[in-house]
Amino acid sequence: MMAILLFDGLIYACILAVLCVGLTLTYKITSVPNFAHMSFAILGMYMALTVSKVFGLSVYAALPVAFLASGALSLFMYYGIIRILQKKKSSLISMIIATLAFDITMIGVLNIFADGLRNTFLIHSRDFTLRSLDIVIGGDGGLPLVFIATISILAGLALGLYYLLYRTSFGMSMRGAIENETLARTLGINTQLIFCFGWFISGGLAGIAGVLMAMWFQGDPSLAAIMIPSIFAGSIVGGFASIYGAILGGLLVGLSEVLGTSLLVDLLGYWIIPYRPVIPFIAMIATLLILPGGLVQLVTRYSRASKKKKMDNISASANSVSDADNADAEPAEGEGEK
Amino acid sequence: MALDPGIIFIGDLIAIFSIYLIINLSLNLEFGFAGVPNFGKALAVAAGAFVVGTIPFGLYAMIIDYGELEPVGDNIMLVREINSHIVDHPETAFGVFAITLVVAVVIGGILGLASAYPAIRLRGDYLAITLLGFGEVIRIIGVNYTPLVGGTLGISIPDMLSFVPNEYRFLTASLVLLAFAGAVYFLVSRFTKSPVGRLLRSTRDDDIALNTLGRDPVRIKFKVMMIAGMLGAVGGVMYASYVEGVVAFGYNRLNWTFLPFVMIIVGGMANNKGVLVGTFLFVAVRKLVIYYNDALEGTLPFDIIWLDYLALGGVMILVLIFRPHGIIPERPQKTKSLEKG
Repeated sequence: MMAILLFDGLIYACILAVLCVGLTLTYKITSVPNFAHMSFAILGMYMALTVSKVFGLSVYAALPVAFLASGALSLFMYYGIIRILQKKKSSLISMIIATLAFDITMIGVLNIFADGLRNTFLIHSRDFTLRSLDIVIGGDGGLPLVFIATISILAGLALGLYYLLYRTSFGMSMRGAIENETLARTLGINTQLIFCFGWFISGGLAGIAGVLMAMWFQGDPSLAAIMIPSIFAGSIVGGFASIYGAILGGLLVGLSEVLGTSLLVDLLGYWIIPYRPVIPFIAMIATLLILPGGLVQLVTRYSRASKKKKMDNISASANSVSDADNADAEPAEGEGEK
Repeated sequence: MALDPGIIFIGDLIAIFSIYLIINLSLNLEFGFAGVPNFGKALAVAAGAFVVGTIPFGLYAMIIDYGELEPVGDNIMLVREINSHIVDHPETAFGVFAITLVVAVVIGGILGLASAYPAIRLRGDYLAITLLGFGEVIRIIGVNYTPLVGGTLGISIPDMLSFVPNEYRFLTASLVLLAFAGAVYFLVSRFTKSPVGRLLRSTRDDDIALNTLGRDPVRIKFKVMMIAGMLGAVGGVMYASYVEGVVAFGYNRLNWTFLPFVMIIVGGMANNKGVLVGTFLFVAVRKLVIYYNDALEGTLPFDIIWLDYLALGGVMILVLIFRPHGIIPERPQKTKSLEKG
């Protein structure tokens, strides 16, 4: 029982963290919170179902397929909608509504796809789970491979993004383009290519998260509406500003969702289970009220203080360095009151 | 005695149009005029509906003694009992409905303030995210907390127009709704044509400039969220009363948040006439689509409901790209001093 709970909690938290990373990435690039982010994940789920049940391949073969398919969808969304609206100088809110509209459209498309799968191949295409197709290490009650896969994907993502962003020149231009697009362009950086890359990665990661979701939990188009508040909660708890904040926030919100619910079940009874989505919502509201910059704000505040101490000893230029830190860009208004 | 299908069609069209008009006017007030992206419009609507699902039972319990009957458990019997009471005593229906409406308005206003509180000082996108969350949370509570409005099964509510003879009942409901919508339209147009309307627009367009002129944009946004929450709750009361029941599942994002956004953007934001046009267009088209649904049913290899999602989302994206100002674009408001100068 404990083991299942732990698997549930960790797998869900890692999936949520992967989704938060993608959401934060596109938010950093375009400043538009993408309400359609979950539809990329649903596409991934259906890629997993198609690859495993229709083509009879291993579920793990669905990971690259889902990555490419959802990445392509994300790219389509960026090029077909967001880019055009940006060129027309639409307001931020119009762009947010456009993402909501894309989400609604994709719910329609994916449900039609699900109906098609059911009618053509006679397979369960709703509330399906692929858990039985997974490999369990050590026989019954052993370690499911998806557990290892999920954790290693998140770890690989964290390390890979670190390497990409801080150790390669492409990553450096990417950070530059996100920070100041005009300046990056004057330096000859192809910002368009970088943004497309960012959106592709974001969508692809969501696709992978969708596959993992279907492998341990259930896959269903209705998850789009159910999970998107959790993803936003994780991202906001993390600060909505840095990749590592997103991982931290996603893990925290995911774990508290699963473990917190089971704790409340022990305390209050089973009736509490359907209220699970309220937990990330409370986490999000609490973050906005107490620490609107998210966990990242906490970290930067601490690191800035220590950095300042160090720098004061060396030179007086400490302020200009720490001002270049981007994490304080967003809502810091509540800071003074609390 | 059965009603003519044509009359049913038109009566239903008028009723749904009136209900959406009230909700869209309130959304236009906060989103079109004041620029508050209320992605949780469903919150106010659901609040209004939930009030209709609870308060009338409590009030009638004081008027008539219905013994052991429970609003949720013995729902059908209780509703029948109350309806037969309304037939004999129409005046109680007026009183109960008025009190219900007032309670709904108060709760809608409070929820409007409360939902805005966490993020109203932050950028619009944060506000949009939290408001969306609020809209989801009220639905989760409604679906799962059975004593409120019957949980997943929903609840029937007394028909406040039971005293009207059966053959006129349907059209009376439509006309009452239309009258309410007309009153709301009149009030909202007066409101937005007054200097307050310009104040709201300036909150949307340039809150810093507004601040330098001594106005506090946050306060204005709070107020507009409260007023829009009140009106949204009125819409919820009207809808639940019209369908004579509350099913919490129905108060979802598509129907009560996304659809109003589509309607006001297609019609024209910050423009009450645009809202009128957009609402009528969408209600009529959707009504026709549902009317001719049966013809398509069975010819397609999937459930027809998903085409609705596809079409709505697609239309919204196309309008945002090709006609972002809607059918009737917003015009600069001319004041007397501007015309003179």
